Amino acid sequence: MDIPVVENVLKLNDEIAAENRERLRAHNVACFNLIGSPGSGKTTLLERTLPLLTADLRVGIITGDIATTRDAQRLAAHCPHVTQINTGGSCHLDANQVKQGMRNLPIPKLDLLIIENVGNLICPVSFDLGQGATVGIFSVPEGADKPAKHPRIVLEASLLVLNKTDLLPHVPFDREVFLADLHALREDVPLVELSAHTGEGIETWTEWVRGFIAPGALAREHTAV
Amino acid sequence: MHEGAIAEALVEQVRRWLPADAVLRRVHLEIGRLEHVEPSPLRLHWTALTLDTDLGDAELVIEHVPLVVRCGACGHEHEPDEPSYLICPECGSARPEVIRGAGVVLRRLEADQPEGDPDGHPGRRERAQAQ
Repeated sequence: MDIPVVENVLKLNDEIAAENRERLRAHNVACFNLIGSPGSGKTTLLERTLPLLTADLRVGIITGDIATTRDAQRLAAHCPHVTQINTGGSCHLDANQVKQGMRNLPIPKLDLLIIENVGNLICPVSFDLGQGATVGIFSVPEGADKPAKHPRIVLEASLLVLNKTDLLPHVPFDREVFLADLHALREDVPLVELSAHTGEGIETWTEWVRGFIAPGALAREHTAV
Repeated sequence: MHEGAIAEALVEQVRRWLPADAVLRRVHLEIGRLEHVEPSPLRLHWTALTLDTDLGDAELVIEHVPLVVRCGACGHEHEPDEPSYLICPECGSARPEVIRGAGVVLRRLEADQPEGDPDGHPGRRERAQAQ
C-alpha cells in the first residue's frame, strides 16, 4: 500500500507559527526573531537598545536558552515585559514555545515583540515562529567566515548585524572577506556594523527597528527560504 | 543538530497519515541541501523514538534534494556547486531566490495493508477524533 503525503515535516510548527503571526498582526505588534551564535552579543545588543526604545514604545521580549533565567534577569532591568523559555536541551525555539511565551506577555498592549532565540546559527533558521522579520547577528571574534559557513541565515535575514566592531583592532578578522562572502550570497543584504559594548553604530540599528515597527512594515510578510 | 525535533515531528506526522492497523514498511523523505539535516543522526533519533513500537520495523528512505536558485536579476536558474556561493553564472548578480533545496518533506509512506481493510481507511487521528 502506497500512501502519498507530500507534506513538510515541520507543518505543525508552521501552522502554530501562522497562528502566532495572525495574533500579532491582529494587535498590530511587530515581531522580529534575533538569531546568532552563543556569545555573539544578542542580549547585550538588546540591553543597549531597550533604553532607546522604551521611552515611547512598548516592547515585550521572549528569550530562549537551554538553561538559566540569566538573560531574562538582565533584560528585565530595562523592560517590564520579559519572559524566559528554557528549552531543556533543544537548540532552537519552536512556534509552540513562542505561543506559550506569548501567554506570559500583554500582547495587545505591545508595539514590538522581540524573540531572542537560543544561541545557534543553524537550527533556529528552520523554525518559523510567527515573526515578521529575522535578524541575524555575527560578531567580530567569531571570524570572518561565518556567513559563508551559514548561508541560510544570510538568505533568510531581513537584516544582518556585525557586532563587536570595537574588537576589530585586536582580533584577526578580514572584513573584506566577510563582505565578499556576504555578497556572494546576497548582494543587497542589509548590514549594520556596530558595537553593543561601546554603542558605536547603535543609532543605525535602532533606526532600522523603528522603521520596522512603523505601520508600513507591519504588513511585511515573513518569507521562508 | 535539530534532527531530534525533525524526528519527533516525523513520528507524529507518520502516525497521522498511517491507516489504523497498517504495518509501516518505508518512510520516504526528502531533505533539502540547505536544511543542514544529517541522515545519520536523523536515523538514530527515529530509531530511538520508534524502537519497540508498531513503527519500529520501518526503514527511512532519504532522498537529498539539491539546491536550485533562480536569479532575481535575470531569471536564470542554476544548481550552485557550493551553497555559500550563489552568484548567477549568467549575469553575475547575487540575488538568489531558492527554488528547491529547503525544507524536509515527507513524500510518501509504504505500508502493508491489513487483511480486509478497504482502501481509504481513515487514519488513526481521524478515527480517534470520530470516537
